[in-house]
Amino acid sequence: MRLAAFLLRRLLGLLGVLLGMSVLIFGIIHILPGNVAYAILGEFATPTAVAQLEAKLGLNDPLPVQYWRWFDAMLHGDFGMSIVMNRPAASLIGEALGRSALLAGLAFGLIATGGIALGLYAATHRGRVSDKLLTLAQFVLIAVPEFFWAILAVLLFASWLNLLPATGYAPLDAGVADWAAHLVLPVLVLSFGLVAHVSRLTRSSMLEVLDSRFVLAARARGLPERRVLWRHALPNALLPAITVLAIDAGLLIGGIVVVETVFAYPGLGRLLVYAIERHDLPLLQVGMMVVTAIYALANFVAELLYAALNPRIRVAGASA
Amino acid sequence: MPLSRRTLIGSSLAAATAAAIRPAQAAANVLRIGISTSLSTLDPMMVTTGDEYIYANLVFNGLARMREDLVVEPDLAESWSFSDDLKRWTFRLRRGVKFHDGQEMAADDVVASFQRLLDPAGTSPVRSQYDMVESVSAPDAATVVFQLKISYGGFADILTDRQVKIVPRSAAAQLATQPIGTGPFKFVSYTAGDRLVLARHAGYFEPGLPKLDGAELRIIPEMSVKIAALQAGDIDVLWDLPLEQVKPLSGRADLRVDSIPTASWDGAILNNAIPPFNDKRVRQAFHLAVDKKEVVELTLFGQGVETISPIPPSHPFYAKDVVVPKTDAAAARKLLAEAGYPNGIKLPIILPVGRPVRERLGVTLQQIAKAGGFDLQVQRLPYSSFNAEVSGKAPLYIDGFFARPTVDTSLFPFLRSMGSWNERLWHYSDEAVDRALDAARSSADPAVQKKNYIDMQAALVANPASFFAYSVNYACAYRKSVGGIKTHPMKWFDLRHATLG
Repeated sequence: MRLAAFLLRRLLGLLGVLLGMSVLIFGIIHILPGNVAYAILGEFATPTAVAQLEAKLGLNDPLPVQYWRWFDAMLHGDFGMSIVMNRPAASLIGEALGRSALLAGLAFGLIATGGIALGLYAATHRGRVSDKLLTLAQFVLIAVPEFFWAILAVLLFASWLNLLPATGYAPLDAGVADWAAHLVLPVLVLSFGLVAHVSRLTRSSMLEVLDSRFVLAARARGLPERRVLWRHALPNALLPAITVLAIDAGLLIGGIVVVETVFAYPGLGRLLVYAIERHDLPLLQVGMMVVTAIYALANFVAELLYAALNPRIRVAGASA
Repeated sequence: MPLSRRTLIGSSLAAATAAAIRPAQAAANVLRIGISTSLSTLDPMMVTTGDEYIYANLVFNGLARMREDLVVEPDLAESWSFSDDLKRWTFRLRRGVKFHDGQEMAADDVVASFQRLLDPAGTSPVRSQYDMVESVSAPDAATVVFQLKISYGGFADILTDRQVKIVPRSAAAQLATQPIGTGPFKFVSYTAGDRLVLARHAGYFEPGLPKLDGAELRIIPEMSVKIAALQAGDIDVLWDLPLEQVKPLSGRADLRVDSIPTASWDGAILNNAIPPFNDKRVRQAFHLAVDKKEVVELTLFGQGVETISPIPPSHPFYAKDVVVPKTDAAAARKLLAEAGYPNGIKLPIILPVGRPVRERLGVTLQQIAKAGGFDLQVQRLPYSSFNAEVSGKAPLYIDGFFARPTVDTSLFPFLRSMGSWNERLWHYSDEAVDRALDAARSSADPAVQKKNYIDMQAALVANPASFFAYSVNYACAYRKSVGGIKTHPMKWFDLRHATLG
């Protein structure tokens, strides 16, 4: 029962966030400088042509009317048209989202496994040369932004070694090997900083746990070190890592815009940048809503996971 | 740690597979061109960017086309003739031309294409350029007649332009998604942010052409990645190479770099409607203050040439004998003093963010013009808000224009009093210039046109409209395996004879 109430409350909160964000997104987008009619007409924009196009696109109506038209249509499953490309926004975003999800999914897998594994390794080799080297590498990876790694990776692997393609996407029907080869660099670059982030955090939380009394007690009782590490320390050390992973899912969306642009990967990030450049407001609005929804959902899932994994929360829920 | 080891093994495996498949990639007879931005439209009538022009010229044909040496030759028309008053133009169409869907092109398709372009309720961005057309008709299946409102000597020339392509009258509605044309390549698929895929049009009207099986436009926004992709062989052609890359890439054995003069120009727009540039002397002073040769060196790394007007020095109509006053900072300050600015002029110069060459031009001018009494403050604005907020309004800003297919279309709207672009840029009016422009367009005789355009340039030196800095070069880089492509000054590609060796 309590779990159901907790879920319901969280879900309502989620809807509230989305609703509020829809107003915010609409508002921000409409105070952006520039004008879609100019963007469409390009260097051929004459004042009459601009006025005509604006009327045709319904851009002369008051903002609340435009907002309601957009929101109402979304409720009815109509996500509008990209006014620059003259194609349905839903299918454009759907295709791009699928490709971004692939990139993000692979990167997230690498971040979770690689980050936790490296963190554990560093924690169990505390103070040794390998730990110090890892720490140095982690700081460098966190401090240097993705676009630097991206360009460095292209120069190294594509230009110099000629091992991997410089750009990040090949359709699946061009062959699985080709498709996979194109994914290697974007996934690696996207993961770099966040692997370092997660492993730093895993290391410190593992160290904290290893220094705690119950680990001392377990060792005092003569349990084998392997059992102390895997059965007692690890599950406790992972809790903060899960929270960080959920936050990183949000950071991942930011990183994806950069990585997709550098590697010419046709995902959601590129599409959003394109929509901003060309002032394609309907496309931008829907794209931002999708990103907001993903972010909110990631946090929602993280909360659920945390509640499910943390025995203290479970105990508190049962005894209250 | 088993997990980390597995990850490591996984990624090295992926890299190894990648290495194994690399050589196989270049085998297909498909030319891959690296371009910069996603196409916004597949409808040839709506194209407005260089990336889109490439597509429009591969998939569609116009009635006439322009060669790399700027000579106009028949395309879908076989020949044309005009009445003595230059108001009635008759085009004989080529027979047996097939659209990509197999239908034969007829005069009705040409009429429908132009009616669509001229439709006042339509959204064609270039409709105003065809204002002079009164009616289009098809007396028979192989003849199209244009009746013009004015005498216009360059009418066949403007039909080479990028938006006036012939589309099937029955398929206009699907142009945005499944475009059909008569061009050497037909549309296969388009993924925004990734690539546009074209395939050979087997029924193309010139036998044996095109030689390629297909072409792909790869959209790669990041220049360093595009160059890496060219070096790695992921693309065969790099379109519109930044001019600072011309020298470094020219040294590479596997590449061919072409840098050719064009009629595209950049300049500082001087607003003639408001102070300080409403005074002719201030405009003259600006020209005296700046050495255009130095501007070309600093802004374009020498990949361009200084000019008087949008007519480039490479054009036969360029006024090479007109004397342009020498740079003289003292004379510039003296003129400013006469105009009522004894202490020089302090004013902002607005630069478009994201157009690196034009940004460089602005900073160069700010540095050079100082000695002549112009104290310019650089302001940067996103180019997307330029049209709405800067054009025709700010006293001084940097802008530039793509080459247009004819001298008339690159001059008349810009410099004729009340011309459509004149009104949106500098609000210039000069009787001698107006007279020359009017006389040039109402003759089909190149000698008459040349004389008048040279007069116009002389008038422009005496009474400057604005600061035309230079005609900018256009560069492309090709892998050595690419043959049969001449770099086109209009920045599109003619791939009919292209080969991959």
